Amino acid sequence: MKPEFNLLDRREFVAFASKLAAVAGLAGLARESRGDDKNSFNYQALDSAKHWKTDPKLIGYAEVTRWRSQRIGARRLAVSPDGRIQVCADNYISSYSEQGDLGPEIALPGLGSCIATTEGGDLYVGLRDHIEVFDKKGTRRATWKPADRKSWLTGLAVGRDDVFAADSALRVIWRYDKSGKLRGRIGEKNEERNAPGLVLPSPYLDVLIHPDGLLRVNNIGRHQVEAYTMEGDFEGAWGSASAATEGFCGCCNPIGLALLPDCHFVTCEKGLPRVKVYSAEGRFERVVAGCESFPENARSCSGLNDCAHGGLHAAIGAGGRIFILDIVTGEVRVMERRV
Amino acid sequence: MEANSGQPKPVSRRQFLRDGARLVAVTGVGALGGALANRAGGQTVWQIDPAKCLHCGNCATQCVLEQSAVKCVHAFAVCGYCQLCTGFFDAEPNELTTAAENQLCPTAAIKRSFVEDPYYQYVIDERLCIGCAKCVEGCNHFGNGSLFLQIRHDRCLHCNECAIARTCPGDAFRRVAARHPYLLKTAPH
Repeated sequence: MKPEFNLLDRREFVAFASKLAAVAGLAGLARESRGDDKNSFNYQALDSAKHWKTDPKLIGYAEVTRWRSQRIGARRLAVSPDGRIQVCADNYISSYSEQGDLGPEIALPGLGSCIATTEGGDLYVGLRDHIEVFDKKGTRRATWKPADRKSWLTGLAVGRDDVFAADSALRVIWRYDKSGKLRGRIGEKNEERNAPGLVLPSPYLDVLIHPDGLLRVNNIGRHQVEAYTMEGDFEGAWGSASAATEGFCGCCNPIGLALLPDCHFVTCEKGLPRVKVYSAEGRFERVVAGCESFPENARSCSGLNDCAHGGLHAAIGAGGRIFILDIVTGEVRVMERRV
Repeated sequence: MEANSGQPKPVSRRQFLRDGARLVAVTGVGALGGALANRAGGQTVWQIDPAKCLHCGNCATQCVLEQSAVKCVHAFAVCGYCQLCTGFFDAEPNELTTAAENQLCPTAAIKRSFVEDPYYQYVIDERLCIGCAKCVEGCNHFGNGSLFLQIRHDRCLHCNECAIARTCPGDAFRRVAARHPYLLKTAPH
């Protein structure tokens, strides 16, 4: 007996094929949006991603202007009494106006690693292991003898009679007098002075002199800002480890310190690049700029690179304006308090 | 006058033997050179270039072995011996203890031990490591990048075409001399 077939007519066949194609297309789209493709498969995303966006209510500053250092390798900046921004980049100190116009430059014999200014306009520059002093015209006044040939200076603070240099390699704050004579070492583990010791998984030691007469040092491995007398006695600390906005993220933060005219602290972080303001007692107050402000800086710590070469640095100008140097891009952001 | 017939001149037996001997000598010298070059490092194996690795996680899933031949290794010279190691701890740990909920590693393959206040040492247990690179991502994102991935050659099957290399988004897999089969990170100074 001859079998019978129910043949589809052309209209029915085309309708069926269209439905099949539509279903297959939707399935493919859904798979792609789930990221199932082998090459984009990334289930490793850190849980810190939610901190990459700052709550707008916490941001208390607005960007006034932004400009880029005209020399590569910008690492630190300071503000002179005349309002000019001194940027330590490559083998130069470059002087910029607040709008980013380049002025006179000072050539250095090596890579500048930190900088500080005085009320008289003198510049103190750290060059890896030693300090050089320039007057406000850029004339070299002194080259100090290195405290140790292994030193790596990453922060400077200049007081009335003393100069303090943060040495990331030896984990110590060197105390000099104004003639360059070494007078002491601060921050090393010392039970008599109650000092817990500086912990530096990465080279970001900074120091500043507070109007209360104490030094403030960022002990990044402990996620704290510590207070020391100028003789080296440990007086106290504040800060805690947390990826949340109130804390200091990652293994080692804050990487930089600055002081506002009202004695509030400005802290800089890496990993989650952000700049924040804390009260004199160490209570979180507000965000100056969050991770979303530094996308390239944030990317520099993921993917190919580790986070030992990125970061931010801040300096304070007249009226409490905050100048933030993005070490990755070389950009300087001028931030002003929102009214 | 002898006419040029255009036919090739026949090779004499002496000439034939001389040419043959030369050919054998040249071939022998070539083979000897090849053998020496091969012995001197011609053999290559697959390895991951840490400078190109994106810590994407493919190494854990794409290897032909059930448990990947890629393992995390630790460059102690680069390590900060952090109390809060972002390769060991979750981004927001409840506390800095070795409790499972605080750890980033899904198989608890990193052993944390106290050295002296506030330093801790982190050692990879390769029997447990699956090469997922979660710790590598955490260490690189905040720290010095002392944790990184390498193909362990006591496990690798030395496939002619590495299955992970085919899918590596960073093109981090390359052939290296079998005499130096690892690409290790070192301290910058």
